[in-house]
Amino acid sequence: MILFAALACSAVGLAWLALAMDVHWQQVRGPQSPARSAVTLLRVLGALALAASLVLCLVADHLSMAPLVWVMSLAGGALLVAFALAWKPRLLAPLVAWLPARGGPAD
Amino acid sequence: MFQSFRLSMTWVHTWFGLVLGYVLMVAFFFGSLSVFDREIDRWTIPETRFPAQPMPSFDAMLKPIFERLQPEEEELEEARARVGGPLPDAKPVMNWSVYTTHRDPVLELYAEFAITNNPKDPDDHVHGHATIDPRSGRLLPNDPLKVGSEFFYPMHYSLHLEWMELGYWIVGFAALVMLAALVSGVVMHRRIFRELFTFRPKKQEQRSVLDLHNLTGVVALPFHFVFALSGLTIFAGVYLPVDETMLKPQAQAHAMQEAKARGLAFRPAGVPAPLASVDAMVAEAKRRWAARGMPGEVGFLWVHHVGDANSYVSIYRAGSDRVTLVGQAVHFAGPTGRVIFEEPPPTAVSGINDFLTGLHLQHFRHWLLRWFYVLGGLAGCACIATGFIFFVEKRKRQHAAQGVSGARWVDAMAVTTVTGMLIAALAILVANRVLPAGLAHRGEWEKAAFWGAWLLAFAHALWRTSPVRQARLAPAWAEQCWAITTLGVAAVLLNWITTGDHLLRTIGNRYWPVAGVDLFILASAALAALAAAKLVRRGREVPAAVASGEDSPTGDVEPAAPQAARVAS
Repeated sequence: MILFAALACSAVGLAWLALAMDVHWQQVRGPQSPARSAVTLLRVLGALALAASLVLCLVADHLSMAPLVWVMSLAGGALLVAFALAWKPRLLAPLVAWLPARGGPAD
Repeated sequence: MFQSFRLSMTWVHTWFGLVLGYVLMVAFFFGSLSVFDREIDRWTIPETRFPAQPMPSFDAMLKPIFERLQPEEEELEEARARVGGPLPDAKPVMNWSVYTTHRDPVLELYAEFAITNNPKDPDDHVHGHATIDPRSGRLLPNDPLKVGSEFFYPMHYSLHLEWMELGYWIVGFAALVMLAALVSGVVMHRRIFRELFTFRPKKQEQRSVLDLHNLTGVVALPFHFVFALSGLTIFAGVYLPVDETMLKPQAQAHAMQEAKARGLAFRPAGVPAPLASVDAMVAEAKRRWAARGMPGEVGFLWVHHVGDANSYVSIYRAGSDRVTLVGQAVHFAGPTGRVIFEEPPPTAVSGINDFLTGLHLQHFRHWLLRWFYVLGGLAGCACIATGFIFFVEKRKRQHAAQGVSGARWVDAMAVTTVTGMLIAALAILVANRVLPAGLAHRGEWEKAAFWGAWLLAFAHALWRTSPVRQARLAPAWAEQCWAITTLGVAAVLLNWITTGDHLLRTIGNRYWPVAGVDLFILASAALAALAAAKLVRRGREVPAAVASGEDSPTGDVEPAAPQAARVAS
């Protein structure tokens, strides 16, 4: 159960990091770029979620095993996020639903 | 030679990747299957479909079986050739050993017997082994081929090329090239972080194939790097056999020194002595592990110098909860059962080595991490397969215009190693269920089915990639995908018909080794069908697309690649 929470943290954390990039934000939210404050917030949130994932892995397993699980959960999470962005980007919309986009058009 | 560092790296990546990619594909695919080698063994040997068992009583069960063990006839034959004459009747037992993991229902016992009349090699010996059901002590036949652990697993590191250990060398070289390909790939890739999540399936196929190549390569980069590296360190003894060649006397002296430091006898005394209760030693070892805060089960038990006054028993803890394999050995004097030496925690260097070995060989109990290993392996397969496809896509028009057939050959080899390999792996499973039970050399026939199917797939790939010469999509991909679907469904049905273990029953009984293999095969069959259907559709669209200067076939060949590796588990 703890491990599943760790997996979820990895995936969500990576999704936030991805959404901090203009291209991926636009895939999810349309033509506008994210507000600068939103970008910073997404990066911080992403990093925190990944750190939380590592902590959860360390709680669940022996010290020697946990980093392996964590690194592989990042690989799995990144694939998941990439495929979601490619085929069903709207699935990620709830993760940034509360964040503002910038006023002007992208780039 | 090249205008820039990046161009030279591109050259290395392209050409070494292409040539050794075929080998790496085999190593990655069969490595992924080897994560579940014991489970595949259960699928292929229905008599052994029962839950994993702990190490049984040595005194009551294992010892009498060890005492009846005989050397293998084949090995005796070879020993006669080495000695150049008949062997002595008495072949004293040198040692006994038994190894188990948390995934083994059956137990394998090994013994070494001394060959005392080889003047060239005083340490010459032959082996004997037996497989038992640890619940009853019943001997199981040794003959059935353990398709997972005795065929797929050695395929992963030796390609079954035993002559001069050639297979080990080829795989080792491929692993080295893999490291170079990873480094050069990172150099070539300008925007690793910016494009980490980039996959554009709707763009033209060269772009989307390259996206997928980068994606699967980069996200699993730590996995790829560490596995290529640890694979090399595991076989360092094969690649740099200094202990056997240049430094043999030193290595021998070192082993003697080490044994002496631990108070363990390097040689038998030549004086017979009985063996004290090994069960009592096991109990003491477990007590000591618990006292060190790591209670555990026995993973490996080794009786040295059997029946001699110098005999000693080494008991290793199973590393189910650690990355490292067995460890924390406690050594006991055979005749008295007194503790001679308890291994201290390993030094930093051997700790790292143990960690790398354990990480690669994964005997731990952690199903999530096992599946992650499969994911990493399959990502590697996808990365290599998309590399091939990119190579072909980039060149096929140019080659078609020039009238050269390079792209076609690369495509044919790619079909053979991607879908052909799956066909071969499924063929051995089907053969395993179809061949009559009492057939002599049944295992050999199963292997023949594997190689035969692969050869057929190669011939088919050669024949059906000829459209690549006109820069069209090769029908070989779709056709072999259909073959995968057919064979996969057949394998699952045959398992049901011949053993009665259909999915409802295995899942209902929570017997995951067989249910998992079945589900995995079905998932691959479904993915192959999906890929085939898409390929056929693209194949029809392509002639028009080529005319209008658009393209798109291989963006969808791709699903064949991850699924490629999913055949069994």
